Parts: sequence; structure tokens; C-alpha cells
Amino acid sequence: MTTTLWAATVLVCLLMYVVLDGYDLGIGVATLFERDPVHRRHMLESVAVGWDGNETWLILLGVALWAGFPLAFGTILPHAYLPMIVVLFSLIVRGVSVEMASQAPPAPRWTTAFSVASLLAAFGQGFALGTLTSAVHVRGNVYTGSAFGAFSWFCVLSGLTVTAAYTALGYAYTKHKSSGRLRESAARRGAAATAVGGVLLVVLLFTVDATAAPLDLDSPGRAFAFAGLLLFAAGGGATSLVTFPARRQFRAADSLPLGGLVIATVSVFLALAVARYPVLVPPGLSVDSAAGPHATMVFILVGIGLNMPLVLAYNVFAHRAFAGKFHTELPGDEPPAAHGPLVTGATLMTTRDPGHAASLPAPLRVVLRLLAAVVWTVLGLLAYFVCQGMFGGYRQIHSQLLTTLGMIAIALTGGIAWIVDERRPHDDA
Amino acid sequence: MSLLDLSRWQFAITVMFHMTFPAITVGLSIFLSVVYGMYWRTGKAVYLQMFRFWRRIFAVGFAIGVVAGAVITFQMGLNWGVYGAKTGPIIGPIIGMEVVTAFFVEAGFIGVLLYGDGRVRKGTMFVSTVMVSVGTILSSTWIIAANSWMQTPAGFKVVHGQFEPTDWMRVIFNPSFIWRWPHMLAGVLISASFFVAGISAWYLVKGRAKGFARCSMSLALGIAALLMPVQLYLGDSVAGHELPYQLSKLEAIEGNWDNGNTGFVLFSVPDQQAARNIAELDIPCLGSYIAKDLTCKTAMPGLKLTPAADRPDMAATFWGFRVMFLAAVLMFGTAFAATVLRIRNRLWTACRFHRFVLWTTPAGILAILGGWVTAEAGRQPWIVFGQLRTSDAVSRLAPGEVLFSVIGFSVLYLIMLVAYVVYIVRTMRIGPERDDPGQQPPPEDLPDTGRSRPAEDTAPRELPVPLGSREVAAR
Repeated sequence: MTTTLWAATVLVCLLMYVVLDGYDLGIGVATLFERDPVHRRHMLESVAVGWDGNETWLILLGVALWAGFPLAFGTILPHAYLPMIVVLFSLIVRGVSVEMASQAPPAPRWTTAFSVASLLAAFGQGFALGTLTSAVHVRGNVYTGSAFGAFSWFCVLSGLTVTAAYTALGYAYTKHKSSGRLRESAARRGAAATAVGGVLLVVLLFTVDATAAPLDLDSPGRAFAFAGLLLFAAGGGATSLVTFPARRQFRAADSLPLGGLVIATVSVFLALAVARYPVLVPPGLSVDSAAGPHATMVFILVGIGLNMPLVLAYNVFAHRAFAGKFHTELPGDEPPAAHGPLVTGATLMTTRDPGHAASLPAPLRVVLRLLAAVVWTVLGLLAYFVCQGMFGGYRQIHSQLLTTLGMIAIALTGGIAWIVDERRPHDDA
Repeated sequence: MSLLDLSRWQFAITVMFHMTFPAITVGLSIFLSVVYGMYWRTGKAVYLQMFRFWRRIFAVGFAIGVVAGAVITFQMGLNWGVYGAKTGPIIGPIIGMEVVTAFFVEAGFIGVLLYGDGRVRKGTMFVSTVMVSVGTILSSTWIIAANSWMQTPAGFKVVHGQFEPTDWMRVIFNPSFIWRWPHMLAGVLISASFFVAGISAWYLVKGRAKGFARCSMSLALGIAALLMPVQLYLGDSVAGHELPYQLSKLEAIEGNWDNGNTGFVLFSVPDQQAARNIAELDIPCLGSYIAKDLTCKTAMPGLKLTPAADRPDMAATFWGFRVMFLAAVLMFGTAFAATVLRIRNRLWTACRFHRFVLWTTPAGILAILGGWVTAEAGRQPWIVFGQLRTSDAVSRLAPGEVLFSVIGFSVLYLIMLVAYVVYIVRTMRIGPERDDPGQQPPPEDLPDTGRSRPAEDTAPRELPVPLGSREVAAR
């Protein structure tokens, strides 16, 4: 029971990730085909506000697998080592370049890095998913496969399909969020991407039986659910294919392509999950054999399960905060301001009161300074040793307590000096 | 180089690169909350200017921290698959809680923090900023809980080689967690303080954006002065409470092979094979003093007490600790000097001190990295102390695969690090002048519903400080 529930949670994480990061990876792929730098900038900005939240689902997916099915986590990842490493590389480049390009525009090289990394990440994810169809080698709970043993032409096909689907999602989101010429081009290309993705998916579904992980449709319930979900997917795909080219400005023309694609994606994944449950990786790694101990399952179901509504609320908040079409004004684009007279050096700081020291003869001043330096250094070291607890070893005089009080006194002196200094008038202008 | 060495190097590189960024951004997110709170309350333009400027540096650092952190999670399965499968029932749920209680909070509100300025109400802006810092603090809590369990495992039993939790309270509040958590939290706050103080000092040295620089540096040094004494105390408590569980780590930290040295080894070149120090420099009696014995009679235990197969690498542990220790002395001295200068009202005229503070910018980050090297290298050869050896935890991958990823990560991270430093330097050169709301019409804030008082003194705005021609060209 707990195992099934947790398997469902893992599936939810996978679906959330594929849909959410799918659209933002897809926008990245789509920027490859976009010539207009302003449009590219708009698309990148729409990713910048949300990619972090979307990508967190990938981490949750990984950790959910790790916590609930530790054996699966420890074997699937080495099984898909190279594609996963490429995905991680690409996600690093992507995350950094998105922030670099939106914090310090125009940054054309970071924008290119963002597009290429998105493409690699999308393809790599599809490829990694594809490796789940090849047999995994496990001996005594330890993965013993070879570097390229998991690779096949099917992985390439799966990589292409996922890339096309992500791109279609990206265009649908762009159409949803944009207006004018960008919306038109997104509509045109989005329809093409949807068509390509659909064709690739059909090929994929027909060839999956030739791999080590054929679909299990023997029981009528499974076959029925599988067919029904695929029908659903076909409906969603058709909806977005039809509504993508709609040019008139009404809400459905913007939301239906995205909605249809989301339904199609979710349905396809559910259908595949139905047809494969409970096998995680062929031949023998199933949900039950990989499940963790009972105490862990209860902890994660309660702890992580109870947090799920909050997590969803944060996601909704993040997307609602930036609802609506793109803002044309971008942060960091402020025009340079007017300049006043040139002022350099620290000369304008509060001029120091020469004080009484200046009246003393020079050698005496040097001696006094040296003396002051020595005294302050000794005091500083003493304060250091007090805080560090060096004098805390003498129980008969409660020196540990005194040390603690001394540490607090030293910290408070710093705090009081701060407050006193803040309250003085400062010549900041 | 064996597969184990490659995997360990990869983990060391990725985890140290990752840690550099939380060392900056956890403290900086709290700094941003304070600054925006001050702006919301007082309406002073300089606080908004500080918020905007430091947010630029925070934004990219946060992004790098997030993506580099994702790598760590997946490496637990990719490179340490056996570890992942065996400790998954304990470490997995802890990291899972981190994801749902911390990562999603951060991710949900970071968008508003970074891009909401002028698009949302001030109250929403403030709440989002606070939520991001809450997320970063929760994140460090869970991650310290997980790592502390690996240092001092508790509340578990081993079934078929797999760790199973028996008491979650003892798993999470394991013996070393109680002290390491506040130690880490104070550490990230201090490292961010010195980072901020150092960059602000650069503007004071250059005489640019004085109001901004003074406010930033004052806040940063104030927090440092409050926390440095506490941090030394906490550090000592960590040593006192964790090391009895991990004597081999203590022995490696002290840098002695044989018992009987009452001095403090300041410098040494250890030879692990021959079990001796090739070169060594001691401060007499200081070791005994640090062990709270002022009579110079308490000697430090030597690493030969631990069987050779269970010894951590002394060089890494010893030098990791020395880096943390020396950086702490430096930072405590800086905070102490700042307090003295403040009492004498000389802090803002002490040009040499400003120049000195500029050089302490990375001190806190180095201390955190050194501390982690001590904690992790000192735990070796165990991955779960006393329970699971690191050599038994590694995935059986083809060495070529791991070599590819080690080289890939090294190159990629080097580029990212350089890019971030270049970005910080560029942002510093352009300066906070462009973030001054006095230089342009203030952002169109939506009508406020909060209890914020009407801005009383928006008048004392900074005079525009001009840019040099190169900086103008850079824009």
C-alpha cells in the first residue's frame, strides 16, 4: 500500500517536472530558431522568472526515488550515467546563463549558451528515459553494467521525441504569454513541432515492443486503460494542433494549445506507466523489490505528502505573480543617468579631527602608536581566547560560565559600538 | 588513479564548488530581507539602492548554487550508487524534506524577489524576500542533519546491509547536529558579512557611492562583530562535542603522529605512508591551552592511536582545519578592530582599514570551505562513520565514464567560477549608482496596504556620483 502510494508520488513528480520544465526547456530550444534578438530576450525573460521552481521538481523526483526506492536510485542512475551527466552539465550551463543574460543584458553569448544547453538537456532527458527500456545488470544490489550497454537506437528516438514535445510545449507557452509577431511565429512553429512530436511518438509506441521492455497489456483492464489514455492523448494533441494556428485575440486561442499539450503529455506518461507497472527497469527491478523499509515509507508519506499542497501553492504563487503577457520593460535596462561633477578619492569623507596626538613630538607619537598597536593586539588575542573557551577548564571557579558571559559581553560590545556609530551623524553625500 | 579516487575527486570538486555559493547567498538573502525591511519601514532611498545592488550579486550566485546543488543530489546515485541504495532509507527522506520545505519555498518566491521590484506591492516584496531567506535557512538545517548523521550515526539498525531508521528523532537530532547546525548558520552569515563588507570597502577606497557603501559596510561589520565571538564559542563546542565520537579526526586535525606534544602544530608537511611529519613548526604549550589546560600538561593524541587502515588523510584534515582557524583569527581581528575604530569614531576615516577589509572579502568563504574539508576528509575512510567504508560505497562504473565527468565538471565549474567573478567585478565597476532610485523616477509601486508609514525622509538622496569614461562605455 505505502509502496504503491509512493510510486504514485514519484509519478506525480515526474509529470510535474516534464510539463513544467518541459515548457521552459522547450522555450530554450525555440530560441534557437528565433532570429529577432528582442523576441529571444522576451522568451528568455519568461524562463528566468520560473525555471528555478520548475527544476526543483527534478530534484524532488530524484530524491523521491532515492528515499522510497533506494535500490532503483542506486542502479538506474549508474545505468544512465553518461546521458544524466550530460543533462546535469546542460542544466548547469542553462541556469547560469539564464541569470547572466537577464541580470547583465544583452549578453548574446550567454543567450546562445542557454539555447544550446536547453537542447542538450531536453535530448539528454529523453535519451535517459530511453535507457529504462534496456536490461539493467544488478548483482547483489550493486549495479554491474557497462558504459554503453544501456544505449540503443531506441534511446535516440526517445530523445528526439522528448525534444519535439518540449519544443511544442515551449511554443504553446510562448504563444500564451506573448503578443504580436512573436505570438504569430510561435503559433506557426508550435503547430509544426506538435505534428513532428506526434509522429515521433507514434513511431516510438510501435517500436517499444522490440526493446527489452515490452508493454504488458495482457489483462483487459490494463489494455483498456492504456487505450483510453492514448485516446485522451490523441484528443489533446489534436486540440492543440487545431488551436495553435488560431490568430484571433481570444483567451482560448492562447490557452488551448498549452492545455491540449499538457493533457497529451500527461496521458502518454500515464499510459506508459499503466502498461509497465510494477516494473521500474527490466528485467527484475520492480517497485516492490526496490522499496525501502516501512519506517522510511511512513516518514516520507507523512512528511513529504503533507508538504505537497504547500509545494503546489508555491508553484501557483510563482506563476500567478507573473501572470499575463510579457512586460515590455525589462529590469536592468534603465537608461544611463545624468552625471554630476567628478569626485574621486576618499578626500570627501568626514575629515579627521587632528586631535591631541598631533601636538606631541614625532618620536613620542611613533612610540605611542606602537604601544597602542601592541596593546590592542594583546587585547584582541585575549578576547579571541576568551571566546574560544581557553579559560573554561577550571571548574572550581566556574570558569566555563564566566567564559560564556565574557563571550556574550564581547559580542554585545561590538553590537553597542555598531548602534552608537549608526546614530552619529554621517556625511554621506 | 583508481575509480574510487576519481569518484572522490569528482565529489570533492562538485561539492566545494557548490558550497562556495551558499556561503555567499544564504547570508546575503538574510541581508536582503533586512535591507528591504528597512526600506519598507523608513522609506530611505539608500536601502532600496542597497537592495537592488546586492540583489544583482545574489541572483547569479543563487542560480549557480541551485544548479550545482542539483548535481550533488544526483551524484549520490550516479557515482555513489551503493551508498545511495544502502543509506537511502535514512538520508533520502531527510533530503526529501529539504526539497519540499526549503527548495520549493525558495523557488516559489525567488522570482518575485528578483523580478518583482516595481511590479508587486512592497509588502509582497518583503514577504517574498523573507520567505527566500527562510528557505535557505531550512535548507541548511536539513543538509546539516543529513551530514551530521554520516558523522555521528544514531537511531538506526542495519538489515541486509541497508540502514533502516528506528528512531527518527535520534536520526535527525544526532549527537553532532546540535552544535554543527548553529556553527554552520553563523558561518554563512559571517562569510556573507565579509563578502559584503569587502565589496563596500572598495567603494569607500574609491570614494564612490559613499552613502551606499557606508550603510552596507556598517551593517556587515556590525553583524560580524556580533557573530564572530559567538562563532568561536560554537566552534569550540563543536570540537568538544563531536570529536569524542571521532577521535581519528581530532588526531588528524592536531597534526601529531605520536602522543605527548603539548604544543600547537602551526605548520606541517605530513607523510601518510611513513606516519611522520617531514617538516613541522610548533607553538609550545598552545595545544594544551586550547584543550583548556593552562598548566601546559595536556598532550594531544597522535594519529598512530588509530589503526593504519582507519586513518584519515592527515594533510587534508590538518590543512582544512588550519585554513578555517587562520581565517577565523583574521576575521575576528577585523571585527575587533572595527569595533575599536567605531568606539573611537574613526571607522569611516580609516582608509588603511578600508583597504584591509577589501582583502578580507573571501575570508569567510575560505573558512567555510576549510571547515568542510576538515569535516569530510577527517571522516575518511568512512562514508558513514564506523559503519560503511567509502571504498565500499562507490558505483562500479567504467573509469572512462567517470574520467569524462570529472574533466567535464572541472572545466565547466572553472568557467562558471571565472564567469561569476568577472560578473561581480563588472557589477562592482558599473556600481550601485544605477540602482539609486534618486537618479530616476521611483518604481511604480502599487498602492500599499501594509502598515508602512508614509515615507518621511525621501529627501536625503545621494548626489549623483559620476562614472569614469570607461564605466560609461561599459554600459
